[in-house]
Amino acid sequence: MEDLVGVTARTLYISTTATILASLWGIPIAYLIASRRLQTLATVFEALVGIPTVLIGLLLYLLLSKQGPLGSLNLLYTPTAIILGEAVLVTPLIVGASHRILKASIDTYGELAASLGASRIQAMALALAESLPGIASSMAMAFSRAVGELGIALLVGGNLKGYTRTLSTSIALEVSMGEYGDAIRLGAVLLSLSLGFSIVARLLGGRG
Amino acid sequence: MIEARKVWLRYTPSQEWVLRDASLTLAPGRIVALMGPNGSGKTSMLKVLAGLIKPGRGEVLYEGSDIWSMDESRRLQARRAAVYVSEKPVMVRGTVMDNLLLGLRLRGAEPRQARDALDRVVEGLGLKGMLDMDARRLSAGQAQMVSIARALVLKPRYLLLDEPFSHLDRARRRLLAELLEELRGEGVGIAIAGHEELYTLELADSVAWIESGRVAMQEPGSVLI
Repeated sequence: MEDLVGVTARTLYISTTATILASLWGIPIAYLIASRRLQTLATVFEALVGIPTVLIGLLLYLLLSKQGPLGSLNLLYTPTAIILGEAVLVTPLIVGASHRILKASIDTYGELAASLGASRIQAMALALAESLPGIASSMAMAFSRAVGELGIALLVGGNLKGYTRTLSTSIALEVSMGEYGDAIRLGAVLLSLSLGFSIVARLLGGRG
Repeated sequence: MIEARKVWLRYTPSQEWVLRDASLTLAPGRIVALMGPNGSGKTSMLKVLAGLIKPGRGEVLYEGSDIWSMDESRRLQARRAAVYVSEKPVMVRGTVMDNLLLGLRLRGAEPRQARDALDRVVEGLGLKGMLDMDARRLSAGQAQMVSIARALVLKPRYLLLDEPFSHLDRARRRLLAELLEELRGEGVGIAIAGHEELYTLELADSVAWIESGRVAMQEPGSVLI
């Protein structure tokens, strides 16, 4: 079994980067949906929450493979490919959760700010500031989803030892080799990470 | 003077009109009570007067100029003369003091510039012992007082209060009524939306009766009878 600390660190790096990347485009989309009342777009993102991860992996594989439109970037079987896949996977989750939080915040704090004489930008800033705990909670939820992801990591990461192997792909490998003890140890680490971030998500959400 | 002139308002094109050809004037140093049944358009009228909602038809005049014909920055400056206080007090994260200073912060003013107004509302509304409390843990009555105080710190020329007495006990109602009378004496124009409530009627110089979005002006005495 590859060094547990190395695999865990790589898993954390990939999942954290994917979550941040998805937030960078997901939160502005959520704000747009909330402020412009784009309900159809909200419904589309909510429907995409349940998309099978293997399907995202397959689409990304086709895009990044040598014959694919992005093949020249040489990203297939790299951590970057997994990051991109996981970012796509958790985007609907971030948009779906954040747009509800932002809508409630814009309705409540946007009007409060305007009634106290704030400009539109100041009202937006207050609404955003007041929804931060809720948005952080949706990011923690997205991280929990990304950290245990298998289909994308296998298809576009390739499970290369010391390079693209994550906790979930390690577990799949150990089980296929009959090393159940190692698989359970890796599973325990994965469970603690996922549970830990779920608890953080709940605590942050509670503060909002 | 703030004036809503022949205002029509609905929130979506498919909806019924909430305000129909409604006119109302709020003059400095006067208290107008807006009364009427639930859903009659009282809150909508206050928000129209505050410049928070653009009516479908009609004009909203601040000192004679229609604010919806102004560019955004002039409209912002004009509507800062009035502050609307919602019936449901909303507190931002932080202490009562953080909330009292919110309007100043949003307007980019220094808290020390409003020291006298701050001291006055803290004293006048009995908030002295509450300043370090978590604003989100206040009772409904305490939050309502903080919400009104937050508006008064801004020294508005017009105050638009939506059901200000609804969550208050008798002692707090009396404190608020006294403060509103003082403000009227200093030239602040005040609109109070409420039901047929004694404190509001006692304070009012005139009553705007709103029903199905239409406004009819009455004498306070006639409503009491």
